[in-house]
Amino acid sequence: MPHECTNCGRTFPDGSKEMLSGCPDCGGNKFQFAPSGRATSGSSGSTARKVADSGAGTVESPDTAADPDTSGTVGRAAETVRGWMSSESDDSSTEPESQPTASNRSGSSTVDDRSTSTAGTRSGSADANRSQRADANRSQQTEAQQTDRSWPGSDGSIEPDERSEPGEFAEWPETARRPEDRSTPPGDASSGIQGDNAGAGSVSPPADSIDDGGSLEDDGTLTDGPTLAESENTAQADARSEVVSTDDLPSDVDRTTAPETGAAGPSGSPDPADGTGEQPPDHGRVVSEPSGDQPSIEELRAELNEQFESIKIVSPGQYELNLMELYNREEYIISLQEDGRYVIDVPDSWRSDDDS
Amino acid sequence: MGLFTELKDSISRVTDRLFSEQEPKRIGIYGPPNAGKTTLANRIARDWTGDAIGAESHIPHETRRARRKEGVEIERNGKSVTIDIVDTPGVTTKVDYEEFTDEMEEDDAIRRSREATEGVAEAMHWLREDVDGVIYVLDSAEDPITQVNTMLIGIIESRDLPVLIFANKIDLDDSSVKRIEDAFPQHKTVPLSAKEGENMDEVYENIAEYFG
Repeated sequence: MPHECTNCGRTFPDGSKEMLSGCPDCGGNKFQFAPSGRATSGSSGSTARKVADSGAGTVESPDTAADPDTSGTVGRAAETVRGWMSSESDDSSTEPESQPTASNRSGSSTVDDRSTSTAGTRSGSADANRSQRADANRSQQTEAQQTDRSWPGSDGSIEPDERSEPGEFAEWPETARRPEDRSTPPGDASSGIQGDNAGAGSVSPPADSIDDGGSLEDDGTLTDGPTLAESENTAQADARSEVVSTDDLPSDVDRTTAPETGAAGPSGSPDPADGTGEQPPDHGRVVSEPSGDQPSIEELRAELNEQFESIKIVSPGQYELNLMELYNREEYIISLQEDGRYVIDVPDSWRSDDDS
Repeated sequence: MGLFTELKDSISRVTDRLFSEQEPKRIGIYGPPNAGKTTLANRIARDWTGDAIGAESHIPHETRRARRKEGVEIERNGKSVTIDIVDTPGVTTKVDYEEFTDEMEEDDAIRRSREATEGVAEAMHWLREDVDGVIYVLDSAEDPITQVNTMLIGIIESRDLPVLIFANKIDLDDSSVKRIEDAFPQHKTVPLSAKEGENMDEVYENIAEYFG
């Protein structure tokens, strides 16, 4: 259950202590739990929720987040996208070490996922990369299911967009790409393969590339581009440029490619024979894997909640309080809302509370 | 928003206080819900100022915002102490609206529950920053060894705040002051009935002594 600034829309992953000092972007101190339904449901669900939110009058337009930094991305994205972003940042807590920020991940992920259905499937040698990604992606498989299904359709429309964004890819040194990829002419191959590279060390929330791909790219990827490039040009870019050979990977990792390839395959990948043909029997795992992961996300959330939340809203009117947490934190929640929103008291910013 | 205005007032008063050294000590009345904190606060305030502090109720979580009575001057044995009394919401680890549904509509119960939760947060916040001493009120008819009591007393001790434990409701048949004394032998326990006004002399003596 990620947290969202109701002023600028910036989202914070569960466990983020950043927000305890107020929103770094707008200084707001009113937050809400982004309802978990938004993280997993489709756009219709989150849109409806957002409509309800706007009706309540406390959620301001996402445009107010002008900061172009990583979080601004989230803030400015369309409302529906925000839902997905939320689910992402939520997941960032799953493997925080693999990416410095959630936005970075979102940047690379859009590419990454696409690569699964394009370059990933057409090149058997991409196994190593994909294996790693598969690992990282595991926790997101549930959300990915929907994505996977939409890939064939979105492949064509998204990739041209992708290619038209030099900001993101210009930064990648040629050496960071595999030789056969550098010369690949049309959209799907090159962007896909770059995605492959990017994906080598990254968690990739497939939710990004769900249907609304167009607006997502515009809002999310463009803004992310520089950040992604800057922060990954160093060690990470290096790491990504080096492809781990399949031999170096544990044998069971190979199996983890199955969800990836499999997910793309049955979902209508145009040429499943290219890459996915290797492991047709594993297709069956695709469906079961995601559903098995969902509880683990929930468990993780619950664990984080226990560690971090000072007030757990069991249901409207039922609360569990962590007294030590309440005592230890400088800020405290001064207003709980039935829908999971709450206002925290931030000592430095209470003066500006008038207008909220 | 009324809440914010109220909060701002509250904070600005706190801020004023921080810069004013000769202000009286602020004594927080803490304890679990329904221990009789407000009844005690009202008793003290009425005895020394003539005013009450807040509404009392047999339904838990009647006090959901911290309330203060400033400048309560208590004289005992020639000693005079001026304190600010802060009546805090009862502290608990669980708030469930179903606890109140017998007494009120569900919507009201849910709202009460939510406000009570905020109240606990506020009480803990006050404990962290805004009190100079604590009167810990317990219902002497209840088992004092609970997670909340142990934790709060521990926090108070860790802050080296002077604390008095008031074993309230000694007018009840099930009352056992000894049970409380045994549970927290490291602190002075004062038996009383705030509701009936029993043993208030000793209460004031101890307040004057501990917080003077």
